[in-house]
Amino acid sequence: MKWLSTCKETSVLASRAMDGRLPFADRMALRLHLAVCENCARFNRQLQEMRRLFREAATTDDHAAGLSAEARQRIATGLQDKSDT
Amino acid sequence: MDTLDAQTWLADHGDYLFRVARRQLHSDELAEDAVQETLLAALSAQTRYAGNASPRTWLTAILKHKIVDLIRRSVREVEIPCDADGEEAVDLLFKQDGHWAEPLRPWGNPQAEAELGQLRRVLDECADRLKPVMAQVFSLREVAGMETEEICKELGITPTNCWVLLHRARLFMRQCLELNGFSKAGAA
Repeated sequence: MKWLSTCKETSVLASRAMDGRLPFADRMALRLHLAVCENCARFNRQLQEMRRLFREAATTDDHAAGLSAEARQRIATGLQDKSDT
Repeated sequence: MDTLDAQTWLADHGDYLFRVARRQLHSDELAEDAVQETLLAALSAQTRYAGNASPRTWLTAILKHKIVDLIRRSVREVEIPCDADGEEAVDLLFKQDGHWAEPLRPWGNPQAEAELGQLRRVLDECADRLKPVMAQVFSLREVAGMETEEICKELGITPTNCWVLLHRARLFMRQCLELNGFSKAGAA
């Protein structure tokens, strides 16, 4: 086994670490690589930043475009039909 | 209680529900379906609506299930891209020896520097550029905060497929955000 994982392998580990606890060996490989590789350390920080930004954007309503007039009409008609039956 | 309530819900909360759905489904059409199915379900279930939650909270809870249903259906319709599809795009980001092809540029503080609306637009545009299933799995995880296990179970895909999709989605999203003005000299 190589003593250091590649950046590509590390990107897989960093991503999986965002989704749950890694097995011990993977965790160590990730930590070791992040300690010596500026790019991967940055990648890892940006993954977390990305999550924060997406969650923040999703939890505040932006009052951007809503339903189109056509879609609204279609849904209203659908509701009307359903209650008529 | 009759359709009047459902029509009122549509008028009062339709746009909000649409935006929530749009952000996770990455398709106007699917988001409209989600709103319609939510209101229809609400209409049939309204006797069970105890009124102890606000209508918006109640409708949003129904919407969550409808979003997962719609994603499950769209996942069935397409092959999960766990093979060559997307692998080549990933390969472009790395050199043969596994190093990054390009150094990663630091991001500034997007929150402070960009107007929130602008930031949102970039996030949405980049997510919309992913393959639909990839964008949907990414959103269930990163936007809705569902656990990976739950996503796999709901969508009937293996954890390995899920991790592959998420890894690719994250690589592409990061790249897209960098190309769209997230990179700034001298920070994070």
